Amino acid sequence: MSNQANTDAATLPPLANRPLNIGSSMNDDASRLDALAKVTGAAKYGRDVHPANALYIAFVRCPFGAATLESCDVDAARAVPGVVEADVSKRQGNYHGATVGHVAADSPLSLRRGMAALACRWKRKGDVVTTIEQGIEAEPELPVDAKAMIEQAGDRTLDATYSTEVQTHSSLETHGACVDHKGDSAVVYVSTQGTSSARDGLDEALGLPASKFEVVCEYVGGGFGSKLNGAGKEGMLAARIAAKHKRSAYLFVNRAEEHLDTGNRPSSRTRVRVAFEADGTIKGGHIQTWGGVGPNRGGGGVNVPSGRYRLGQITTAHADISLNGGMPRAFRAPGHPQGAFAEELMLDEVAARCGLDPLALRLRLIKADAIREMAELGARLIGWDKRLVNGAQAGPIRRGMGMGVTSWGRFPSSVDAEVVVNRDGSVEARTGTQDIGTGQRTVVGIVTADAMGVPLEAVTVRIGRSTLPPGPGSGGSVTTVNSAPAFMEAGKAAATQVLELVAGRTGAPVNELTIAGGEVRRNGAKVMAWKDACALIPDTIIGKGRNTQKTVAADKTTGTSGGAQFVDLDVDVETGVVKVHRIVAVQACGRVVSRKLAESQVIGGVIQGLSYALFEHRLLDRQTGAMVNPNLEWYKIAGPKDMPLIEPVLWSKDKEAAGPRPLGEPPTIPTAGAIACAIYNAIGVPVRSLPITPDKVLAAMAGKGGAK
Amino acid sequence: MNPFVLVQPRSHAQAAKVMAAGGSYRLPVLKAGGIDVLDHLKEGLLSPDAVVNVRRLGAEGPAVTRLADGSIRIEAGATLAQLASDPILLADATVVAQSAGSAATPAIRNIASAAGNLLQRPRCWYYRHAQFECLKKGGSMCFAVDGENAHHAIFGPGPCHIVHPSNLAPALMVLDGQVHLTGSKRDRIAAADLFHMPDKGILSEHNLEQGEVITHLTLRPRPTSGFHAVKAKQSFDWPSALACVSLRVEEGVIREASVCAGAVAPVPWMLPRVGAALKGAKATDDAAIAAAAELAAEGAKPMRDNGYKVALLVASVRRATLRALGRETPSFREIRP
Repeated sequence: MSNQANTDAATLPPLANRPLNIGSSMNDDASRLDALAKVTGAAKYGRDVHPANALYIAFVRCPFGAATLESCDVDAARAVPGVVEADVSKRQGNYHGATVGHVAADSPLSLRRGMAALACRWKRKGDVVTTIEQGIEAEPELPVDAKAMIEQAGDRTLDATYSTEVQTHSSLETHGACVDHKGDSAVVYVSTQGTSSARDGLDEALGLPASKFEVVCEYVGGGFGSKLNGAGKEGMLAARIAAKHKRSAYLFVNRAEEHLDTGNRPSSRTRVRVAFEADGTIKGGHIQTWGGVGPNRGGGGVNVPSGRYRLGQITTAHADISLNGGMPRAFRAPGHPQGAFAEELMLDEVAARCGLDPLALRLRLIKADAIREMAELGARLIGWDKRLVNGAQAGPIRRGMGMGVTSWGRFPSSVDAEVVVNRDGSVEARTGTQDIGTGQRTVVGIVTADAMGVPLEAVTVRIGRSTLPPGPGSGGSVTTVNSAPAFMEAGKAAATQVLELVAGRTGAPVNELTIAGGEVRRNGAKVMAWKDACALIPDTIIGKGRNTQKTVAADKTTGTSGGAQFVDLDVDVETGVVKVHRIVAVQACGRVVSRKLAESQVIGGVIQGLSYALFEHRLLDRQTGAMVNPNLEWYKIAGPKDMPLIEPVLWSKDKEAAGPRPLGEPPTIPTAGAIACAIYNAIGVPVRSLPITPDKVLAAMAGKGGAK
Repeated sequence: MNPFVLVQPRSHAQAAKVMAAGGSYRLPVLKAGGIDVLDHLKEGLLSPDAVVNVRRLGAEGPAVTRLADGSIRIEAGATLAQLASDPILLADATVVAQSAGSAATPAIRNIASAAGNLLQRPRCWYYRHAQFECLKKGGSMCFAVDGENAHHAIFGPGPCHIVHPSNLAPALMVLDGQVHLTGSKRDRIAAADLFHMPDKGILSEHNLEQGEVITHLTLRPRPTSGFHAVKAKQSFDWPSALACVSLRVEEGVIREASVCAGAVAPVPWMLPRVGAALKGAKATDDAAIAAAAELAAEGAKPMRDNGYKVALLVASVRRATLRALGRETPSFREIRP
């Protein structure tokens, strides 16, 4: 017995000492191009746009999980000075936040008074379904083959049920749109993950052809998958009201509505019944999953088995359970974190039953060689050799280590890129994609600068407008993967056109000319200053690049991204409080465009996973179905003092990996599972339910027989 | 939110006049830091016709002073940040500095006032949301009884099951704190008499009369005092349980002990049995301290989902006692920048 807590405090290694991929990134230390604009407030998000004479709009919503609108004084609302429209068309709500109507008014104050004047009287309906367990009529029977396998395995079986709660996206900028109506044209500011696709449907709602309005989305305050539905119902209603009244219109939902009705990661329940051998080899079994979704079924999938481990002959079944709660939407690696939590903790439980080190077991079960190597590296960096066997500690603070792995596929997507070179030497990179906080604006700038040989400072990036060449929606970790090749091509095309002008003027062969250090060079020697070269441009130069789904699919230099994460944490067994101390996140992402942003992406994924593991929980009141915590007070999200030391390690051993690989989603997949395994290691008993809050830790330990 | 008049009184006495029943305003509300008042306005739980701003009153002088009789005076408008770093409190009323420093976030502590911390309303999620017509809002039921009660009270008969949210009130209780008032015939009320249980009045938590305004607090110095709170989250979270302990130690033996818990009952919850058990114990006798702390659980009647708070309360009491004695308490490994 020993207690290793309170020893070796972690310190942050300097950037230069942190391992990176073999080779280097295109840009190691560039900060976001819009960093200053964002921190000073100069960056205007859609939510910040308030056109003169705009109408302000709010939805009328059901306040309970299931209720009937008994009365509602629409006339009183319309009589409120400033209210121009009040419409309540539905009488039933089957989740808290379900929309039944709307009010539009001259000002936020009139709107608020109009909403109050409605004096909606809701009658709650009887029972509501707020948890998956409530919706399961009977535990399913094992399929015949799995049953036979498990019966044959005798004691070497695991029957465990893992559950996760609903996580809301909690975007800092809430969902919404602002229509700046200009009579026969309009500018629509939408907070979206798909600027180019957000036009769809707005033409009809605005009563304007697509050629007469522009969607603008220069900055987005987070989306995480919840803003992939074009202009959304918020934007569509704002557009319809703007068209009807020939006025500008503004509809951004508030914090409570953001929790209630803009999507979520559905809850899950995973029952694992597997047979294994004495050496931990998993023979197979059956995994039944359930997803806790909205009133309409769909979207509740749980990604387990993940396919990352050899798990023998596994059969699966899934059912969505309808809850009286808001509907799910895509959420950063949909289905994956909940599945990885069940899979990783299951592996630790099997390892413990076999008396095996869970890393050793995984190294045998991991399918991909690259992920196995990443796991070996991560284990060294976390100091896995200091890990004690499960529950082998005494004292109030116990240390635990755990791990998990990840992978993500590559999804081809079309991108049109333009690089403009002006006569003064300035460069513009243009595409209609958006920066939802990932740093896409900066990525486009870096790739363009790299392709051309000009400094990043010379490049102005224009994104976030539907009038720009169409770019990808930000979903599925596709944006950099697909934009980078297009901008490589466009940047090179633009540079070649400049060099051809220089060749024409100087007689030097164009293929011997390069751009570097603010000059056009031949064999390293200056031929002409960049500015002078650009002065040769008759008008402007436009280099074009195009990435189609076909060309990306055929590109063998890019591919899937694997990763492995390791957690070192402390559990206070007298209070059940968990404090994560360190997380090492080894993550492949092919060629690194921007080291700082790529590390940032990994860190962000880890933070979101940690918060999911320990805190986040949409809690529906079992009596009324109302969400009792539609705020950021009781819907708990990890804060600064909950942060561990996070060490991202960007991995690219494969020198052939010349292109960037997907990075947005994979780093958030394994974190919660790795944390759960580390807690199991610390306290000696698995907590099979997320979030792992103090009550669950204490209950798990008490179930163990009160061992302290 | 409806328009209101912002009143800027020049003194607490003037504020009390504006607040008094039968004054110029129908529904005036007192605002110091404004943290809780703004929450109420935003949720539509309060529709005042006047907001009486006492935030800057007394701000020109020191937040904390030592009085001639040896007691310590804290201005009503002192911010939690001032209390957390005040040298007098850090030396002689540690439990106050520690409890103030543990509350909320740095941003809130820079604004929130001492008196506001005492009088803030509960954080019960049924109380805080307009669609629940709960007892505390004049409704007919407590939704927590059969609803979501993981953060509700483990003590008290109801009928309302809030926990008192103040960090500072239990600290004041163990230092025989006095709450000084203006606006009525009495000039003070003991901290111990400041709050009442829900069965003695459910619409408010305190015993101040309309028109009474807190001017300052006084308390007895006690260097051997300590605070401990258990929070699931280390940034911006409400404690699941907290304890304040004040001890008089002579020759290594605890001669007097006063223990009060927070976040477990509708009022700051005195634990006299724990105090009695600590009396006579050696300051180094961990077993006696642990046994005394266990008594904190006596009389607890957890609801369906908050039984875990009993263990957290016991741990808080034990750790607050150790901190009062200057002893080490279990802590997580540090991360150094």
